[in-house]
Amino acid sequence: MRYLLFVPLILFVALAQVATAPYFPLLGVTANPLLVLLMCWAMVRGPRETMILIPLAGTFKDLITTDPVGVSVLALLPIVPLAAIRERRPTESEFLPTLAAVAAASLSYHLLYMIILTAVGDGPPWLKSPMRVLLPAALLNALITPIFYLPVRWATTLSEMARPSMRVLG
Amino acid sequence: MRTLVWLLVVGLVALLGIALSQSGALDPLKNGALTVASPFERGLRTAASPAADFLDNVADRQDLEDENRLLRQQIEELTAQIADLKEAQFTAADLAELAEVEESRPDDQFLTARVIARDPSNLKERLAIDRGSSDGISEGMVVMSEGGSLVGVISKALNDFAWVTLITDPNSNVNAMVLESRAQGVVSGSLHDGLSMDLIPQEAEVEPGDTVATSGLGGNFPQALLIGQVAAVRGEQQDVFKEAEVEPAASLSRLENVLILISFTATHLVSP
Repeated sequence: MRYLLFVPLILFVALAQVATAPYFPLLGVTANPLLVLLMCWAMVRGPRETMILIPLAGTFKDLITTDPVGVSVLALLPIVPLAAIRERRPTESEFLPTLAAVAAASLSYHLLYMIILTAVGDGPPWLKSPMRVLLPAALLNALITPIFYLPVRWATTLSEMARPSMRVLG
Repeated sequence: MRTLVWLLVVGLVALLGIALSQSGALDPLKNGALTVASPFERGLRTAASPAADFLDNVADRQDLEDENRLLRQQIEELTAQIADLKEAQFTAADLAELAEVEESRPDDQFLTARVIARDPSNLKERLAIDRGSSDGISEGMVVMSEGGSLVGVISKALNDFAWVTLITDPNSNVNAMVLESRAQGVVSGSLHDGLSMDLIPQEAEVEPGDTVATSGLGGNFPQALLIGQVAAVRGEQQDVFKEAEVEPAASLSRLENVLILISFTATHLVSP
């Protein structure tokens, strides 16, 4: 349950994304740091913790944006099944599958987001979206993955190193 | 199995949340969240703005040089026009006085608002402002830049905050007119392509540099509100309509304050 200490950090990333991401467009789109952080978290530490973090972060983000509350939660849900790629260990490296998972999560996020927006009558142009938004966003989110992957990896390694000594002390 | 159950439960709760949001039941909660979050958002945005400005300048250096050259040229032309207009103004004033004509034009009333956030999704172009229904804001009100050009409309009014759908939003359509040729059309937003003016009759003369303003048709916007300038005209001779690329007059990506036109009420026309 110690990971719950990181909830404020996750909420801060959601807040920072809403406040600043639109001012740093690249490839015509803005990055989704919250999605990248949660995907890295699920790939490094396993999907169980993100099952708690996704509803918290998604609901908070929806509360401070124009989206109906629940849209981001639904769009972030595929992170959990995508993290199953971690168990299969397709490569020696943990980073490369994380990159692929982030790109896939970004695609599924935008697809689900577009479906929900269309269902509530606020749909984006479907024909233009794949080339203008879905693919550039997947690429951009994959590009910023190291910024979140490395701290999560280091924090996890440190906590794993600290755990046995705590048991001895206890 | 547990993951599947979790996905189903969270998915159903999220769908319930969406339904409640659509009915407006969660608006007080959203208002409260924005009240708490907006000072932090403003702080974060202020902290990030030097970096954003720097990146903007790096990316736009060539554009700025071109724009600078164009602006110098326009200053010269405008200075000459001002001189002509001053002369015309004196003449018009004299004529009005002579004819004892009183112009009666209702004064527009505005409310200023600060931009507190932009929608971070890549599929919408919306802004959050720090005025809401408690300030007399209601959905459909027209929002303008400090310079007086069209920015968008209020699409959602919470108690203390409101969301503005920009004219560049993919779902935005504004009945417009090219002032020089009186050609009418519809200015629409699109995904990251700025503005385009569609449905311009093929025979209409539209040139780059022409001014585009609201036509007032439909009753959603007042007439002659500046939208922008024609940047390019597209379309073949055999097409029924022309399409023009429109450069918005307001710098929509850098808005900090906006004006809400509270004296204008949008009318929604229904067919007989």
